[in-house]
Amino acid sequence: MNTILPKIALRNLARQKKRSFLLGGAIAFGIMIVTLINGFAGAFIENVSENFAYLMAGHVFIQGSEKTDSGRRLHVIRDGSLIVEAVEKTALPYSFATKSSEVAAMIIFEGKSIRQNLTGLDIANSTFLKERLVLKQGSWEQSMAPDALILSEKVAGKLNVLPGDRVTASFQTITGQNNVADFTVVAISVDASIIGSVMTYVNLDYLNAFLGMKPGEYMSLGFMLPNLKDASEFSTALYESMKNLGMGLFERSAQDDSGSATPFQALMRNQNKETWEGVKYRVFTIDDVLSQAKQIVLALDSSSLIILLVLFAIVMIGITNTFRMVMYERIREIGTMRAVGVQRREVRSILLALVAMGGLSLIDFGMDSPAFLIMKNGHLSFFLPPARALFNILVISLLTILAAYFPARAAAKMTPADALRTMK
Amino acid sequence: MQRHSPRRSKALLLISLAIGFLIPLAGVAQTPALPGLGMNQAKKILSDLDDLGNFPGKDYSALFTIVSEKPGEKQSVTQVRVFRRDSKKQFTILIMLPEVNKGQGYLREEDNVWFYDPTGRKFSHSSIKENIQNSEAKNADFTSSSLSKDYDIQKISEASIGKFPVWVLDLRAKNNEVPYDRMVLYVRKDRIMILKQEDYSVNGRLMRTTLFPKYVEVEGKLLPSQILIVDEINRGEKSQITMAEQTVEKLPDKVFTKAFLEQVNR
Repeated sequence: MNTILPKIALRNLARQKKRSFLLGGAIAFGIMIVTLINGFAGAFIENVSENFAYLMAGHVFIQGSEKTDSGRRLHVIRDGSLIVEAVEKTALPYSFATKSSEVAAMIIFEGKSIRQNLTGLDIANSTFLKERLVLKQGSWEQSMAPDALILSEKVAGKLNVLPGDRVTASFQTITGQNNVADFTVVAISVDASIIGSVMTYVNLDYLNAFLGMKPGEYMSLGFMLPNLKDASEFSTALYESMKNLGMGLFERSAQDDSGSATPFQALMRNQNKETWEGVKYRVFTIDDVLSQAKQIVLALDSSSLIILLVLFAIVMIGITNTFRMVMYERIREIGTMRAVGVQRREVRSILLALVAMGGLSLIDFGMDSPAFLIMKNGHLSFFLPPARALFNILVISLLTILAAYFPARAAAKMTPADALRTMK
Repeated sequence: MQRHSPRRSKALLLISLAIGFLIPLAGVAQTPALPGLGMNQAKKILSDLDDLGNFPGKDYSALFTIVSEKPGEKQSVTQVRVFRRDSKKQFTILIMLPEVNKGQGYLREEDNVWFYDPTGRKFSHSSIKENIQNSEAKNADFTSSSLSKDYDIQKISEASIGKFPVWVLDLRAKNNEVPYDRMVLYVRKDRIMILKQEDYSVNGRLMRTTLFPKYVEVEGKLLPSQILIVDEINRGEKSQITMAEQTVEKLPDKVFTKAFLEQVNR
């Protein structure tokens, strides 16, 4: 392997340290901006999906819906045995299934009130909740009490409550009647996320009694899968399996006329227009709920590519000018090399190796630098898909080499005599 | 769907209660004083109250001012102009105060409700059956309920409110789809005028007390001009609704159009 050319390129690079650093810095800055945008966009959707999966206790969900004679829709699953049978028939794996009920409630304590989502779960047996929810005060043992309530530290601060305090929650039953229930604060959790702070956990059976549901009934059944990416396959298989068992199902591919709603919103709106008897089920995934968020990420990704190209159009002009200067500074050296038998191709290679070494090492710096800015367990997090990172490196490498190619070719084309005669 | 600030949602709740529920209840029949009250007579009172709440063949408009108080918070004032045409299930609500929401409005026709935001000059649609997000109010609250249809009279007793002797009608819901499972109405004996109303939760807790201290006469009907709502769950939270410029005069058809909401903002 010819190591002389890279050595010459490296020596030349080291001669003008300041200029090399500034040139590489421009490249690194461009790639850093793009990497940051890509990284935050990637982390945004990852985090939102993860948070929602955690808050909703699953990746795939089934909800039951009944319509009363007056046209009111009741969200309730009265008997989940057929759903369990349908899931078993798919033979697809899932980590765990969670029964839950949820209601928007006003939590009141000594003149202070705050609106929260009360999520009813079997807290005592909910391993996922215990894994994901970090308690700041109180304990899981106390959550065995029927009227236990766990809220986030932000909400606890606003209400000024501590473990042991009794709070009152005002909400509506599944049929729309106003009701009130008292709860005991047993624990205060660390705020896992902005979304997490609106969730307050209570025991399923206790909440259901106040929502007008019978023991064993619930609103939603969530399946947590080993991987979020399996949600689509799982939900499709489950939907077909439920259909084969003759269960009433809402159309999954419902689209809203305006096109602005998420598939989940479209599903819900279409249900408003439908009439049916008995119970009908809806099957949806986290992706259906979060499709609008994904559109934002797509827009961010597209914008970052445009920013990348604009930044590099500017950087390319800088690289071209710099290499013209490099060429003229080294013109007598190039002439001498050509006179002693160095080929045109080799002269061009020296100059391209120069830009490759300087540029690519700083591309790496540009890729790595955002990682230092990201907190691991805070709200700010960073995820850059490897394929996207490779694509960015490829685009920038090509553009950088292209920018240096023309001055390098001009230098290589010079005859030794012309090069030696030239005084710049 | 359009999102609403909690403050405006609260105002909407009060408006909805006022125009859709409380006024019908608080209507006053010019009937003679009753020496005693049997079950049939009590049912007749409920039926009369249902009828008095409607304005068949007529329109209704008024300026509502809602002053809300919450413990530890500044008093908030909301003012809205309300136009109703019950015969066609129409209403238009224009928000006058607070300044930040001025010009916003709601238009209802049958089961459709449109919200107008002058900032974007756009309408957004929702169904009467959908919730008003982020609020205790539902659009369905804007529809009037029927006491005689939805409630049974459980008990009749006598009491006094101030200097007025009243019948106390203890009502229980016939079905589980009405907002309150139990209501207690305090109706003046001499004029069947509601002075006080208590609303109870499904599990029997007093949630809200509503007082009707002032009335005005509009074309032979006495309508409340002031309503005081006291939240019994969150002590210290209360709202006062004042209804001014109440009239049942015919309104132009254009009032119940989208163009009207756009026009008033020009």
